[in-house]
Amino acid sequence: MSLTQTVPSPPSPPPPPLPDAAPIAARALDAVKVYGRGETAVRALDGISADFAARQFTAIMGASGSGKSTLLHCLAGLDRLTSGQVFIAGYELGGLNDHQLTLLRREKVGFIFQSLNLVPTLNAMENIVLPLTIAGRKPDQAVLDAVIQMTGLADRLRHRPTELSGGQQQRVAAARALVSRPEIIFADEPTGNLDSKAGGELLAFLRKAVDDLGQTIVMVTHDAFAASHTDRVIFLADGRLVQEMPSPTTDSILAVVRHLGD
Amino acid sequence: MLKVSLRSLLSHKLRLVLTAVAIILGVTFVAGTLVLTDTIRSTFQGVLSNVDKGVAVVVKGPAPATAVGRLSGATLPLPESVLAKVKTVSGVADAVGVLDRTGVAFLVNGQEVGSREGARGLNWVTDPQLTQFQLTSGTAPQSSGDVVINAATATDAHLTVGQQVQVSFEASAAETFTISGIATWGGQTSIAGEGFALFTLPTAESFLEANSTFDAIDVSAASGVTDLQLRDDVATTLSGSKVQVQTGAQASSQTEQNAVTEINEFIGAPLLVFAFIAVFVGSFLIANTFSILVAQRTQELALLRALGATRGQVFTEVITEAALTGVLASLAGFLLGILVADGLIHIFSSSTKLSVQPDALITSLLVGTIITVIAAALPARRATRIAPVAALRESQPEIQDLPRTRIGFGLLLFLGGVAWLLVILFTASAAAGPSLEALGLSVLAIFLGTALLAPVLVRPVATVLGWPARFRGAPGRLAGENARRNPRRTALTAAALMIGLALVTAVAVITDSLEASINQAIDGTVKAQLVVLDEGSGGFSPQVASTLRSDPRLADISEIRGSDALVGDISTGVTGLDTSNVGSIFSFSMTAGSAASIDTLNTTIVDSTEAATENVHVGSVVDVTFPNGNMVEMTVGGIYTPDALISGYLVSLSTLNPQLSTVRDSDVAMNPAAGVSLSAADASLLNDLRTYPELSGLTKTQYKNLISAGLNTFLNLIYVLLGLAIIIAVVGIINTLALSVLERTRELGLLRAVGMTRGQTREMIAWESVIIALIGAVLGLAVGAGLGIAMVSALHNDGISQTAVPGNNLILYAVAAGLFGILASIFPAIRASHVDVLKAVTSE
Repeated sequence: MSLTQTVPSPPSPPPPPLPDAAPIAARALDAVKVYGRGETAVRALDGISADFAARQFTAIMGASGSGKSTLLHCLAGLDRLTSGQVFIAGYELGGLNDHQLTLLRREKVGFIFQSLNLVPTLNAMENIVLPLTIAGRKPDQAVLDAVIQMTGLADRLRHRPTELSGGQQQRVAAARALVSRPEIIFADEPTGNLDSKAGGELLAFLRKAVDDLGQTIVMVTHDAFAASHTDRVIFLADGRLVQEMPSPTTDSILAVVRHLGD
Repeated sequence: MLKVSLRSLLSHKLRLVLTAVAIILGVTFVAGTLVLTDTIRSTFQGVLSNVDKGVAVVVKGPAPATAVGRLSGATLPLPESVLAKVKTVSGVADAVGVLDRTGVAFLVNGQEVGSREGARGLNWVTDPQLTQFQLTSGTAPQSSGDVVINAATATDAHLTVGQQVQVSFEASAAETFTISGIATWGGQTSIAGEGFALFTLPTAESFLEANSTFDAIDVSAASGVTDLQLRDDVATTLSGSKVQVQTGAQASSQTEQNAVTEINEFIGAPLLVFAFIAVFVGSFLIANTFSILVAQRTQELALLRALGATRGQVFTEVITEAALTGVLASLAGFLLGILVADGLIHIFSSSTKLSVQPDALITSLLVGTIITVIAAALPARRATRIAPVAALRESQPEIQDLPRTRIGFGLLLFLGGVAWLLVILFTASAAAGPSLEALGLSVLAIFLGTALLAPVLVRPVATVLGWPARFRGAPGRLAGENARRNPRRTALTAAALMIGLALVTAVAVITDSLEASINQAIDGTVKAQLVVLDEGSGGFSPQVASTLRSDPRLADISEIRGSDALVGDISTGVTGLDTSNVGSIFSFSMTAGSAASIDTLNTTIVDSTEAATENVHVGSVVDVTFPNGNMVEMTVGGIYTPDALISGYLVSLSTLNPQLSTVRDSDVAMNPAAGVSLSAADASLLNDLRTYPELSGLTKTQYKNLISAGLNTFLNLIYVLLGLAIIIAVVGIINTLALSVLERTRELGLLRAVGMTRGQTREMIAWESVIIALIGAVLGLAVGAGLGIAMVSALHNDGISQTAVPGNNLILYAVAAGLFGILASIFPAIRASHVDVLKAVTSE
């Protein structure tokens, strides 16, 4: 059962007025997300519009409560907007039912979470090919070999998650995200639980995936160092997009973050 | 995805085992029952085919006219003259008359010995083709004082060839015989548990009071003559006589059918009912466990959903785990069941080989697996509702909302079940009684409905029951909160115990009401102060009454006899009373006519319930058919109120006697003679009965105690049979607590970190367990009492006039439930108190 079988091929969204006319992997248009009702209502997303270019490493930054995680969830099809639209690979998510969303996630999206990424009862290799197992497909051997090579974990493939370090687990999760060659990979604070060395290794891995394999990655992080590995950072505050920064460095990011606190 | 299921299953072996235990126990009971009944059946079949090999044709009397619709296999005796006729048929090699009467007892030193089921008396048949018995030692009976006894009795009573033994027939005065030999029947040491005594034909005829009759005529065929041919020839010769002529094979097959039906009805079906109750209770355990497991695996399942697994795939994954568990557990249960059946069979006979049929295996596998899958279906469905977003969050929603639809459905089931039950009970036809299947289903609906409604009751009941726990401070209060935290889970756990206790309570209410009714009947209707009866089989010789009449300390000796009868097409009973002194023995409450009317020949009084059913009034004439086929027109002289002891048609002994082929008393009632104290009369009675050791002489009080003891034995049997269901329910509580302790590791660590001691932790878990158990008890006692009262009320017209709720028993059950709760908490409490505090409070 594949997505194209359930939903007719979507009309392509109108190309954005960008000078280099780069293709868009994901887009949010006037996204609003409200939790709760009446007096206790929380406006987590307050009308955000943002484009995420293909073959680019984008970071979403902001303080707690800025809406960055919510934006990620809604972009990834894990949660639904109250109003507004989200596009992935040309599909408008609001028009898909749960089953179609599931298939979308299976075929077009990859995930790396902060923790609890892996199924504890499967070993590393089985975790890596899990999305394909779910889809009932066999992995592309060339891609699989390449990705495993990149993780540097070829000799630990038979180990269970509890037998791997935090950094190794996250690399396995990253490998899993890559193996099915999705349109876009969403990472939610992937280095959050790692020490600086392991974190650095993971970020280098993700950078390589974008540069060598042409993968699109959108990462939520609060860590300026992590964000410095990306091609572009967008800053959120109180559910709104407040600043964009192409070609970020750690210092320039820290400057913006400090400024945001005013 | 299969791999995910398998790995998940194998990774948590403890949780696999806990789930499986419930299924294993239930399936063991089912499998054990099936193997047991299969073995009993096949043993019987094997022996029968062995025993009747040489018999070509069997001639028997007709079935009793009163045995309408009942497969009993008993036939009326044949006149001796038939034997002579049979011998004239060409093709007959040999024909012998066979006497076979039950009611024989062996006595040594005045004490009854041998099997509890008594023994049969038969004549020794010398023709080796036609005899069913084989000597293992000694010789066949030659003289009138000889007897051949069965090997089992010889072993049990340490009797050998040459010794003397006393034998009595239907509690007549025992006669002394010499054991000339010991024999087996088809290689067995008894006839399915019954002993046997073989005499010479003349001795048998007089001892067994045959009155020139036979019970059957066995015929062997001359060479070259087929059984069928001979059967036809014999039938032709005997046409005009009231006989049944069958080939030997037909006769064995019919006996087999009857035995099989009896085994199924009296052993198989009741045991399977209890087995299914155990399995049903087990299903609650399974549903609960899978519910908890799904909650525990929220993250994992959410991850699968996030990665693109559809709802269908998640559902299948959980169900696959359930199915695998079910199959493995059913297999284990089946093997255990074989062991149990083996053990039980060996108690009775060490030589029997087990008969394990593929049917038993298939049924066990199907029952166990299907129940597991059905029970896991709702939790599996809940698993599909896990939002993929949950993969990112750690905390699980703890306070559960009560979904309205489920409560509505539960209410519907409960009220529907109650209504259905009442309709069944109160509209059941007097003859057939309520349909057992419909009864079972309505009770099932009530249980399911209560289980679904239970979550609503958990909060208020837990508050009330948890109140005393508060006095123990924090542990007690926390325990109350914990029990209320997840009403659905608490309710499901308690529901299992509820079912077991409800059934026990219902049976207790019914037996207590029965006892109260019988006591009331005894006090109300029976004026006699002493009674003689046979606690075992029933009928005894009128000799006894004659002996008692010559005792000056006893007066108003009154014999009571009974017979089956057909009135119209309804099976009923006719009881004959001694009209000369009936007034000093019984007092009837008449609603019409007079009791004295039965003095007149062929006049009867009938109980009001039966009168209403058959539309009979004073002056009506009814046609009464007796087992021997005679039909007598009787006039109804009065209508009386029935009670637990006396119902049906009552006539005088003079009316009844001509219709009986053998005259036997079922009871003899009497009073002390004028001026004699009850104790003196009682002593005298017991003295008179010394020569009839199978009979008991009882005062009214002793009679009541006898009934009470009998009902208690029955109740104890129910306790044992339902015990397994209760054990499963308690395992369920252990299960839930253990898994919930695992879930609450963080929380428990926190409590310990801020100062709760190990002892307090254990106490908290113990209180939780007790509260859950008591919720189950409260619900169970309420539902059970309700069920019992409903059933008793429906039986008001059939003699259970009193509704008695055994308050003491109920309190006992509640206390027992509390104790079970404490027991169940031991293992989880120890685990809870040993939570590693540091590991628990630092985040992963």
